[in-house]
Amino acid sequence: MRLAYWMYQGTAHHGVGRIANSMRGVHAVFHAPQGDDYVTPIFTMLERTPAQPQMTTSVVSGKDLSRGTIQLPHTLREVEQRSQPDLIIVTASCSTILLQDHLEQVVEQAHLATEVLIYDANPYRMQEVLASEGLFTLLVERSATAQARTATPSVNIIGPSSLGFHNRVDLIALKHMLKTLGVQINVIAPWGATLADLRRLPAAWVNLAPYRELGLQATRYLEREFGMPALYDAPIGVQPTLAWLDHLLELLNTVGGEQGAPALRRPPLTAFSLDGESTPSSVPWFARTADMESFSRKTAFVFGDATHTVGVTKFVRDELGMQIVGVGTYLEHEADWVREQLAGYLPDELLVTEQFQEVATRIEQLRPDLVCGTQMERHSGRKFDIPAMVIAPPTHIENHLLGYYPMLGFAGADYLADQVYTTTKLGLEQHLIDMFGDAGLDYEDHHTAPTAPPEPAAPASEPAPQLNGDAPAVPAPPAPAPNGAPGWTADGEAMLRKVPFFVRGRVRQNTERYAIQQGYHEITAAVLREAKEMIGG
Amino acid sequence: MAPDRKPAFIREDAAYHSFCGLACVGWLYQKIKDSFFLILGTHTCAHFLQNTMGVMVFARPRFGIALIEETDLSRPQPELHALIEEIKADHHPSVIFLLSSCTPDVMKVEFQGLADSLSTPSLPVLFVPASGLEYTFSQSEDSVLQALLPFCPVAAPDDRRVVFLGSVNDAIADDFLAEAEQLGIPVAGFLPSTHFTELPAIGAGTIIAPLQPYLAKVAQLITNERGATLLSSLFPFGPDGTRAFWEDLAAQFGIMVDLSEREARSWAAIASHTERLRGKKIFFTADNLLELPLARFVQSAGAEVQECSSPYINRRFHARELAALDGVRVVEQPNYNRQLRDMHADPPDLVISTMGTTNPLLGAGIVAKWSTEFAFMPIHGWAGVPSLVGMFTRSIDRHAQLGKLDDPVWTAGLMPSIPLEQA
Ligand code: SF4
Repeated sequence: MRLAYWMYQGTAHHGVGRIANSMRGVHAVFHAPQGDDYVTPIFTMLERTPAQPQMTTSVVSGKDLSRGTIQLPHTLREVEQRSQPDLIIVTASCSTILLQDHLEQVVEQAHLATEVLIYDANPYRMQEVLASEGLFTLLVERSATAQARTATPSVNIIGPSSLGFHNRVDLIALKHMLKTLGVQINVIAPWGATLADLRRLPAAWVNLAPYRELGLQATRYLEREFGMPALYDAPIGVQPTLAWLDHLLELLNTVGGEQGAPALRRPPLTAFSLDGESTPSSVPWFARTADMESFSRKTAFVFGDATHTVGVTKFVRDELGMQIVGVGTYLEHEADWVREQLAGYLPDELLVTEQFQEVATRIEQLRPDLVCGTQMERHSGRKFDIPAMVIAPPTHIENHLLGYYPMLGFAGADYLADQVYTTTKLGLEQHLIDMFGDAGLDYEDHHTAPTAPPEPAAPASEPAPQLNGDAPAVPAPPAPAPNGAPGWTADGEAMLRKVPFFVRGRVRQNTERYAIQQGYHEITAAVLREAKEMIGG
Repeated sequence: MAPDRKPAFIREDAAYHSFCGLACVGWLYQKIKDSFFLILGTHTCAHFLQNTMGVMVFARPRFGIALIEETDLSRPQPELHALIEEIKADHHPSVIFLLSSCTPDVMKVEFQGLADSLSTPSLPVLFVPASGLEYTFSQSEDSVLQALLPFCPVAAPDDRRVVFLGSVNDAIADDFLAEAEQLGIPVAGFLPSTHFTELPAIGAGTIIAPLQPYLAKVAQLITNERGATLLSSLFPFGPDGTRAFWEDLAAQFGIMVDLSEREARSWAAIASHTERLRGKKIFFTADNLLELPLARFVQSAGAEVQECSSPYINRRFHARELAALDGVRVVEQPNYNRQLRDMHADPPDLVISTMGTTNPLLGAGIVAKWSTEFAFMPIHGWAGVPSLVGMFTRSIDRHAQLGKLDDPVWTAGLMPSIPLEQA
């Protein structure tokens, strides 16, 4: 038994939820305690879903256990009536799996017209990644049907999913490249797919499976069963994207040759830019500019899932010219693949662990200039004052941004390079701020201080640039109270300190305004209390 | 003071969305500063805590999960000594709370014995039932306080002072202390206190004044075990609740005060808000167990409460609140789908809903707000009134200012599972 704090992966039932919330007409029912419904808010909050995710917890309570009752048949009927799905997937949770309820019998008793799949996801043997991959593979195996190929070159994009890392925008990047090549998309799955779409999978000429974590097994199955050629690489970085395009064309032209279709050719690279006439990516030039000279001495530590760990490690070394000081993954079952992919890139043993403390320790020892990791490594980075960027799940709401920030393709390369640049640069500025004595300032004073002049554009090269005299990079100290404003007594100050820091500045201002209105000459705890009461925090 | 007839409420089938009792860790580990919360649980419990309670912002939390893995399932009683040593070395707590969860409950782990075997005089390990099979959201704070009770010194029978029950932040606690002082009410302390080492003395002369509405069991336990008197009043939310609370509490000490003027002043200070709330239809879907007093307040503020649902209702502990809500549809353990149908039939102006349902409601064009925000805002007492009313008006005002989302294009492509006809 070990002490765990943070988890890199969600649970098996979360993995099932990710498939249900990716597909249309598929509803997940969790035979679980009510609290296990916590996975629903992960979708509604992180992905800000405008509709209720297709998952329902069929509540198991202590009372049910003692009375031997089970809500599942009732829940299933209710789900059928409310959502009319094509398929209901039933799965147990970590606690209910121990009850050994005979779910098949229970489901039969519900007399549903809807098809029900009992997905045996043992939460003690599989976590989010294996559970979602396993379920999706099963659905593909059950559905895919032999059929004629499409008349024109086409692909399936297999793997993008709800809560997949930047998957929604990766899809836009992939679609844009395919459109530029003149390749039609047959099916995208699981993202937005119905079961009918899964049936149509074998109609495509080629499968694209960019993510190691989801879609790999299904794609292998399609290759085995239907002889569908597949491209398993993730186009992360400019060179890998070029290789990916060439490989894709090769596969399509092989199929096209069999069909007697004219060969596809790669259009000029400018065709892949947004306006069709610029460079598709600024990375190759950017990496060679004087500005980036210092990066050749900068070190990076990369940790994450399999796909992004491999892609980002190669990218920062091969395309930005940084030094790799350590690499790791939390996906134990993918460790061999990561090692194989990164042969020649690993400075030492690949770190394989599910314990974030071990990763933190490694970061602390290595003290790299940049950490590319998950949300957890971002915390470790903060703790050790090392710049960190998030390149793999698990994520935080801060990683669910609105803009077009893909990880894949040319646009992905630009985004990654921007991230590396701004993350490490800010790290430098942070040191400057510390050096010039701002560290003592309280966060809230920072924010209530008169707007600081804009920060100078700090050159990114080391050593530290001189500061421009009239534009200090450090925010000004807190403003003294305006003339005539009442002062704070010790007990007033003491009480103010107890107000949560993020609203303290506002409370201070409001109270001072209130005290002036009321003609108080000093602000005591009593005045503060009175002000809070009359005008609010 | 309790009403003669039983106020009616409906009980449904508990098909609502909320969190399990482990949620209380999110605030209690911060409130009790020398504590450590150890959950004997699974990956599920860890995943829940890190994702939903916003606790991931802390790099070194004073809570952790003793992780049950497959090999542990066959062991009758888990071995936690090594973990306790690890926690001691890393965190130096004065007390460790050992929380139950669903899997060890199903395994029938004997928690009390386990906690006792780990407990030492210098570092007590206290069992806290919190499993999702039995406990919802804030309800398990009740379990934590029950575990703390034996460590409250026994007060002499003639020690007539008040103990405020329920965790509130330090600023609110100071407000209550100051108010009590002003009214001449002697205070023994707060349960929970900010430190395990500062628990208040409780005895037969103690008046227990509940600040939070989810503590029915510990309130009962204190009266049974220590012979303390439980204040039966409204909970101190809003001008109406705060006035009743202080008047009733003062009366326990033989102090007769009339706070009507104070209440009027408090209402007057938020008049611009209550004007906006007048006639607005508010719907509570059940989540954090604050629903009864919140609904009572917003009704007093002039709104129409369409439905007040709550995970659990206790006829005695909530008697005054229930009486004040007479005529309102009050539901215990509601069915969310029924609620949804009702909302579509008669659209509310504001729904106080759970984290799992709020964005989808907004997507359906219904103004909704996370109920969890109420649990983390200083809304108690006189000083909390402006914050409290603002919680309701802000949502309504904000959506009025932004206008309706009139074209489905603004959410197109954002959610892959949305049915094609809605996409
Ligand atoms: S409902 Fe049970 S299994 Fe789920 S997080 Fe809560 S205690 Fe853990």
